[in-house]
Amino acid sequence: MSAERITRREMLKRLIVAPVGAAALATLPVREGSAAVLQPYYEPYFVAVLWEGRTRCDSLWRSLKGDVVAILPTVQGATPYDRLYWTGYALGSAPVNVAMRVLARAVDHNGVPLGSGWRAIGQATIQTPPLRWFRVEIPEGHWDEYRLEVRSVTPRLVYSRVIASQGYWKE
Amino acid sequence: MPVRFLRNASELADVSMESPLPVQVTNARPVPADTLLVATTSVDTTANRDLLGSTSTELPTLDGCGQYRKLVWFYFRAGADSTTYRVLARATDHNGAPLGTGWITLATGTLPGDANSWGRIEIPSAGDGYYDQYRIEVWRTAGSSNHNLTSKIVGVR
Repeated sequence: MSAERITRREMLKRLIVAPVGAAALATLPVREGSAAVLQPYYEPYFVAVLWEGRTRCDSLWRSLKGDVVAILPTVQGATPYDRLYWTGYALGSAPVNVAMRVLARAVDHNGVPLGSGWRAIGQATIQTPPLRWFRVEIPEGHWDEYRLEVRSVTPRLVYSRVIASQGYWKE
Repeated sequence: MPVRFLRNASELADVSMESPLPVQVTNARPVPADTLLVATTSVDTTANRDLLGSTSTELPTLDGCGQYRKLVWFYFRAGADSTTYRVLARATDHNGAPLGTGWITLATGTLPGDANSWGRIEIPSAGDGYYDQYRIEVWRTAGSSNHNLTSKIVGVR
């Protein structure tokens, strides 16, 4: 394959004046197609940040995103991930006593949930001294959508980051 | 003589069990998960009906699964009547023909959950899969009303 050095102006002219040379493109190396490559949610990361932000906790069950709409997911497109990690930090001078629960569901090819409601994966209470970090590991992976909810009798702010990890294979 | 390395950009640390040398995974690729099936099955008392509705026991529900270490079966069941499931597997030759008739039974039991509930079953429950074909059967063993079972199966490499 031969190469040619051209200026940006010349390249623009060629792109505008003529269609891209199909013959030249056909000789470019291509990647073998497979079903895995076509998966719309496939992301080539070992660890992905699914969400990060601040939640104003009160006495209602709220998603980490702040909503109380039970049908809305907190994170979507989580199919490739075998494990989720939620790391947080609660502000306030009182000891932390935040109830949390993790819900999950699967969706069809159109992104529509297979059924109503959620599967409850787990529920717990985060209790720490004030201004401490906490971490929740969600081992039940490959669900498409998760809803992470928090509730606290004492209103407080919680900063969160939800990451997800894929396994890997060595070549 | 201890081996030392630069930790946290400014700190020299001895190599120990608590302070191992930093390593980086190389030549590794992420493990994708593929959706292999989304289907709704009307669960009745037919004992060998698979998720696709077939009662031909030699037909697989899923084919070409040899690359998957695990299958994860997610489902939503609309009814509560006792439902039995059976997960079967087998290997094929290079032409895709099964090595023999019949199947290995990987799992069988009562499908967990009440009406309008979600479930998740890993196939196989322990160890690795890598079988070429799977057949997943469900049938109602009690009660009088059929119910819909909506399933999604994800293959994990």
